[in-house]
Amino acid sequence: MSSLLSAYKKMFLIRTAEQEIAALYIKNKIMSFVHFYIGQEAVAVGVCDALEKNDKVLGNHRSHGHYLAKGGDLKKMICELLGKENGSSHGKGGSMHMIDKSVNFVGSTPILGSVVPLACGTAFEQKYNKKHDITAAFLGDGAFEEGVVYETLNLSALFKLPLLLVVENNLFAVNSKIKDRRSENYDIQKIVTGFGANYVKADGNDYDDVFNKAKKLLQEVRAGKPAVLECITYRHMAHSAPIFEEGYREEDTPEKREERDSVKRMRRKLLESGVSEEAVSSIEEEVKKTVADSIEFALSSDYPKKESLYTDLYAS
Amino acid sequence: MPPRIIKYTEAIREATDQMMETDGRIFVVGLGVSYKNGADGTTGGLKEKYPERVFDVPVSEGSFTGMAVGAAINGLKPIVHHGRVEFSLFAADQIFTQAAKWNYMFGGNNSVPIVFRINVGRQWGNGPQHTQSPYALFGNALGLKAVIPSTPRMAKGLLVSALRDKNPVVILEPRWLFSLKQDVPTELYEVPLNQAVVAQKGDDVTVVAYGDGFISALEAMELVKGKASAELIDLVSINPIDYETILASVKKTKRLVCVDTTNSAFSIGSEIIAKVAQHGVSLKEPPASLSCPSVPCPTSTALTELYYPTKVDIANAILKAMRQPAIIHPLSFEELHLAPPIIIP
Repeated sequence: MSSLLSAYKKMFLIRTAEQEIAALYIKNKIMSFVHFYIGQEAVAVGVCDALEKNDKVLGNHRSHGHYLAKGGDLKKMICELLGKENGSSHGKGGSMHMIDKSVNFVGSTPILGSVVPLACGTAFEQKYNKKHDITAAFLGDGAFEEGVVYETLNLSALFKLPLLLVVENNLFAVNSKIKDRRSENYDIQKIVTGFGANYVKADGNDYDDVFNKAKKLLQEVRAGKPAVLECITYRHMAHSAPIFEEGYREEDTPEKREERDSVKRMRRKLLESGVSEEAVSSIEEEVKKTVADSIEFALSSDYPKKESLYTDLYAS
Repeated sequence: MPPRIIKYTEAIREATDQMMETDGRIFVVGLGVSYKNGADGTTGGLKEKYPERVFDVPVSEGSFTGMAVGAAINGLKPIVHHGRVEFSLFAADQIFTQAAKWNYMFGGNNSVPIVFRINVGRQWGNGPQHTQSPYALFGNALGLKAVIPSTPRMAKGLLVSALRDKNPVVILEPRWLFSLKQDVPTELYEVPLNQAVVAQKGDDVTVVAYGDGFISALEAMELVKGKASAELIDLVSINPIDYETILASVKKTKRLVCVDTTNSAFSIGSEIIAKVAQHGVSLKEPPASLSCPSVPCPTSTALTELYYPTKVDIANAILKAMRQPAIIHPLSFEELHLAPPIIIP
């Protein structure tokens, strides 16, 4: 499979899985927050495709896409969302706590900004043990306003850590607009470079742009210069529910989202490049079946035993 | 072997050094830990000996604490030093919400082997913002272990145990005890993180104390000698609390005196008294809870001499439980404001 086709497959998997998760959510099968990633697929897949296998990834509250892009197990993810014993955290975490260490997805943690120092520590371990791997952390534009993020830009630049912060700027912190949260003179590039880290901006609705810029940026990250890759993208759904509430939106109208949709653009690009409709459809059918099978598996999986309420408070 | 008398801070430094020799995953991070007399001497000289493993850091507690937690998640064993508990509260998210929850929220197999050394509590002239003792905060935080070393020997053994544990361990070190001296073994040894210690056996009154309050209680034992047979328990751990040891003692003595060096609301003493009551232990006298007044600790010595329970207060609480007259024992300025210049047996 060509690398573009493989990227499309991952993006389509994230999209399809989340659409099905939304259907489960509406049927009250998922009794927790779900922060949908639909619309932002190009960011997770573009960045993870630019990483090496041993590189580590951490995520935030909106991390289904990051987890799947890094190769996380779909069945375990859906089981986790449904609160089942077969889930990656045996039902104790849920949607906001994705983890699959077998593919170097170290964990996702939903308190805004918290992931940044944790990722810094992950990069610290890589440097301490003289590895050549890097750490990438995903956070949103809201989290980028937390003080600890600015502190960590300084600390990671000072310690020369191989850390890439991927800021997914989807224009909103919940429903609060950038213009209501930052002064008109706020300059992220000056801020980041002022701390001694690199900064690049990418079109987060375009896989190629994210992939190419991440790939280039990673060369210096790997040499110990931390960086921020800011990806401007659109969150198609509400902050934490599968609804398409539109009242607060200005730039990212339904028409604009449709036009800039990374998954659809990627599909068009594949066809233009000569990949047959059949080949694309066959991959899509395969993905749909994988998702349907995973949901079937999760629905028929057992809930954790009551005793497990008390297990795992401490590691033994 | 002749006794080897060292200070509380020297015991901490020695445990750190000896553990760093045996385990390359251990590193030290904190404000000023690389100074020659770093962290009140507890990290002195370590930078010279382990130049790649001792890190002075920007004044950004949330960030460097989180970095250490992230390093622990990935298999290293950080010692994070916060010179005042107030500083550590900048990193509350990383301590309480990240490190403490990581293993549970991922369903196990995700240990966070990290030690937070946090200096806490009384010291002359430090005032309302440098002397807080929010023990309840650490006792209440699920997923953390929290201990309070009361002596140099305890300080070394608990740090060794904490560094060999897979979980986040908070060591709350009362600054008041830093110059306290004791005979401390040179070799590495462990003190269990979850066990209270019966420091002195007795039949009439159970006294439960911890940290600097334990030292005052130890001195109170001298004042009640011949008048009451008190059983003194060093609580050691406030998360979890070793109720087994306390209940066994209270069932025997039927009298209870708790000593806190924090204010009474949600205090350790309140917690212990509640648990003893729930267990239906019928006491001969109402349980006593000594604690600080419910105001911040002021700065002037004229006011701070009223603040912490003294050895005389503790002695009189014991005597009251025995329905004996109180003793009158005026304390000198030094006794009121400085840790006792004694060598702990």
